[in-house]
Order: sequence, then C-alpha cells, then structure tokens
Amino acid sequence: MIEFKNVSYAHSKGYGVNTLNMTIEEGDFTFLIGPTGSGKTTLMRLIYFDILPDNGLVKVNGFKSTEMTVRKIPKMRKSIGMVFQDYKLLNDRDLFENVALPLHVLGFNPRDIPDRVDEALDLVGLIGKETHYPNELSGGEQQRASLARAIIKEPDIILADEPTGNLDPVASFELVRLLETIHETGTTILMASHNYNLIKGRGRPIYELKDGVLRVR
Amino acid sequence: MNKFLYLLTEGVKNIWRHKMTAITAIFSLFIALYIVGVLATAGNNTHKVLHYLRSKYKIEVFFDQDISNEQAIGLIHKIKKIEGVRTATIIEKEDAVRIFKDQFGENIVELLGYNPLPVSAVVNVNRSRRDPLRVEPIIKEIRSISNVDEVRYQGNLINKIERNYKRVIDRLPYLSGIVVLIAVLVIYNTIKLSVYSRRDVIETLQLIGASRTFIKLPFIIEGILIGVISATMVFPALFISVKALNYVASNFSSFNMKVNFDPLVLIWMLLMVIVISLVGSYRASSSFLK
Repeated sequence: MIEFKNVSYAHSKGYGVNTLNMTIEEGDFTFLIGPTGSGKTTLMRLIYFDILPDNGLVKVNGFKSTEMTVRKIPKMRKSIGMVFQDYKLLNDRDLFENVALPLHVLGFNPRDIPDRVDEALDLVGLIGKETHYPNELSGGEQQRASLARAIIKEPDIILADEPTGNLDPVASFELVRLLETIHETGTTILMASHNYNLIKGRGRPIYELKDGVLRVR
Repeated sequence: MNKFLYLLTEGVKNIWRHKMTAITAIFSLFIALYIVGVLATAGNNTHKVLHYLRSKYKIEVFFDQDISNEQAIGLIHKIKKIEGVRTATIIEKEDAVRIFKDQFGENIVELLGYNPLPVSAVVNVNRSRRDPLRVEPIIKEIRSISNVDEVRYQGNLINKIERNYKRVIDRLPYLSGIVVLIAVLVIYNTIKLSVYSRRDVIETLQLIGASRTFIKLPFIIEGILIGVISATMVFPALFISVKALNYVASNFSSFNMKVNFDPLVLIWMLLMVIVISLVGSYRASSSFLK
C-alpha cells in the first residue's frame, strides 16, 4: 500500500510537488500522467525514498518517511521493483547477470537462481538472450529486461517511471500489456507516463499531476 | 554466505569486466610502488656505499729516517690505539723500495747506493659508524706521536664524501616522506577514478535495494586485488633492477660493491598498498552512495 498525506517537496530550483494526498491500495494498477516536469519522477522518488518529503507523510508497505533511515532504505526497496525510462541496466554484465542481480541482493541460493531468471525472461519474452549484453539488445528488449529484473524478486509493488519514454508505439503497448499480466498476480503497480493515449480506456485509476498538484482524472 | 561468495567473485570479475581500467590502475600503482621500492632500497644501502668508500680512505704515515722497522712497530701500536683507527699496516724500508720500483721502474738503492725511503704505515679508519667521520682529530693525534715525520691523506675528498653523506642522511626521511605521500595519492586517486567510472553501478544497486556493504565490498576486493597484483609485479622488477645494477657495477665499473635487496621492503610495500587500496576503494564507493 502506498499512502501520501499532505506531501510537499521542493527541489532547490523551486519545482516539486505540493500538498499531495493519494492512496494506492494493495493490488491496484494505477497510472500517473502529466507533462514533462510536472513532478511525476519526484513523486516516484518520494515513494522509493530517494528523497524525503519536506512536509507530510509518505507510507509505503508500512515504512514511514518520518522514520526512514539510511539503513532502512535497502530493506524497504527489497519489496519494490523499479522500471525506468533509461532502463538502468548494467552495461558490464550480460542479461542473465542483470536479471539475477536482485536475487543476489536478497541472498538467494545460487542453485535456485537460473530457474527463476528463466521464468522471468520467459514472461517478458527474452528467453535465449541470456548472454547478450544490454548494448546488444533493442530499446524494447532492454526495457523488458529491466522489467524482468524488477519482477524476479516478486515484489509487492512495481514502480514504472516513464517506462515507454524511449520506446516505439508497438513496444510501448506490449510493455503495458506485460505490466497488466504481472498485475494479475496481485502486484501493485504504479506507472507514470506522459502519453495519455497509451493508458486511456484501460479501466484503471488515473492520477494527473500538473505543476506539482495532483488530481484524479 | 551466498552473498559473501557472490561479492567475492564479483570483485574478481570486475577486474576482468573492466580490463582497461584495471590495467591502467595496475600500471599506475606499479610505477608508484616501484619508485617507493627503489628509494627504500637506496636508503637501505646508503650506509653500505659509505662503508665501501670509507674502506678506500688511506692515511699514509711516514716516520723519521732513522727509525728502524722494529721501532716503527712500537709506533704503529700507538697509532692503533687512537680512536677511529681500524688498522695500521707497516711498510718496511725494503717494502718501500719494492713499491718505488713498481711505481717508477727504478731500484732506488742501486741508483743512490743506499735506501733513502723511511719506514711508513698505512692507516685505515673505522668504517661502520653511522654519523659522519672526522679524520682531522685522528691526523692530529698521529702527528703528536714522536718520530712521525709526515702524514698524508685525502682530506678534501674525505670531507666531501662525509659532508654529502650527511646531506643524504638528513634529507632521506623527508624525500622518502614526499615520495611515499605522492605514491599514496596516486594509488588512492587511481582507485577512486576506477570506482568513479562505475558510479552508475552503485546507483542501480542502490535502487534495487542493495545494502551499503553489498555495494562497497566488490569495490574493496577489486581495489585490494589491483594493489596486490601491482605489488606482485613490483617484486621481480625491483629484484631484477638490483641484480642488473650489481652486474653493471661489478663488470663495467671499478665500484666493487654489491647492493643488497631487503625482502622486508616488499612486505612493507604490500601492507602499504593493501591498506591504501582498502581505504581508497572504501572511501570512493562511500562517496558515490547517497
């Protein structure tokens, strides 16, 4: 569960978010839309505690922003999978190593890792590309690899910050479809996008951010 | 345990993944450590060089003409008792004739009909003292012995050598300090740059929930490995350099002295590089962690 109570945050250059109130229940699939610079990424960063609010309270899976410490952040992030516009894959490791990374972080037995990586790659349609390096994959494939890395640890929440920002319409549509498939397993998903056409008509709650102010669309 | 083994192998794999960065770092560390090693070896051998040069100091003492070989032996005993004198060897009148013939090709006794050469002695000074040696007091005491006619020695040369030795001994700790400091900075910054080039890895690992230790450990292992590899390369390089120097000195110069190579230097260097790499990689990876 994600909860924002009167959350404000201002960047040093002035922009940010202002008195946000939002609740995303467990198992929800929510979209967050807004133009570039509206505060979508700031909101996402507040959820994974990359930044802490100036005012108000952010509560994610029982972790409160007011009680957050440097040591607690990794523990909290273990239950969150993240997908970014720029994929954030490690270019010095192949696809298998990239996807397996969260399992090593969680201390999985190395013998169990290959099966789980296969499962995740199968879900995103990248079986057979395990030894490929990120620069040998297309943009769409890289984003799906990033999604495989996010889901492999079976997180409670997936945060997708403009995951289709660098993808063509077909790859974008496929990615949203993949997220919907993952959502069917009970995972809470919050996806930020500036592309309204991609998310409209899907029967999901949509929050709109404009100039740091949130409203339900 | 699974995590630790993974991080250990990641540290090793990182060297392979970033071959060029690792090679550059190893080379920089190698140069820095080699210079430290050369300086340490030079420092270790400074006294040995002086010891060798002091063995070449020669004080010649000529006794009065009427002193016989037997009387000269008594005088030599007096010379040996002077502080700072190591040995005193008698050159009897007959030996002096032979030396004259060796040097000038003429038998002076046949030329003059008698032996005009006095009994003399060659005095060697004590070589092992660590502080600069002053020969003047020794010369003064020898001159004060009755029946000593003349004392010849290479006063200027000896003073010059002893003065320069003092200069080196006085400055060596500062020079070593500066070189070690430069080496430390080179090693530290090389490790830091190597971590800096992979700050995106740190960011990604943080985002997927890796702890600070999980992120730092591979960098620390990698840093220590780079340090150990460089030090391991420096050991044979220093050993070969010393061997080559000794070979050149003994075959192509009159400098008949062997430079020693102290294995303790290697142990110190290894410890130094491990500590700096550990601190450098720890601090560098910490500085890129939010």
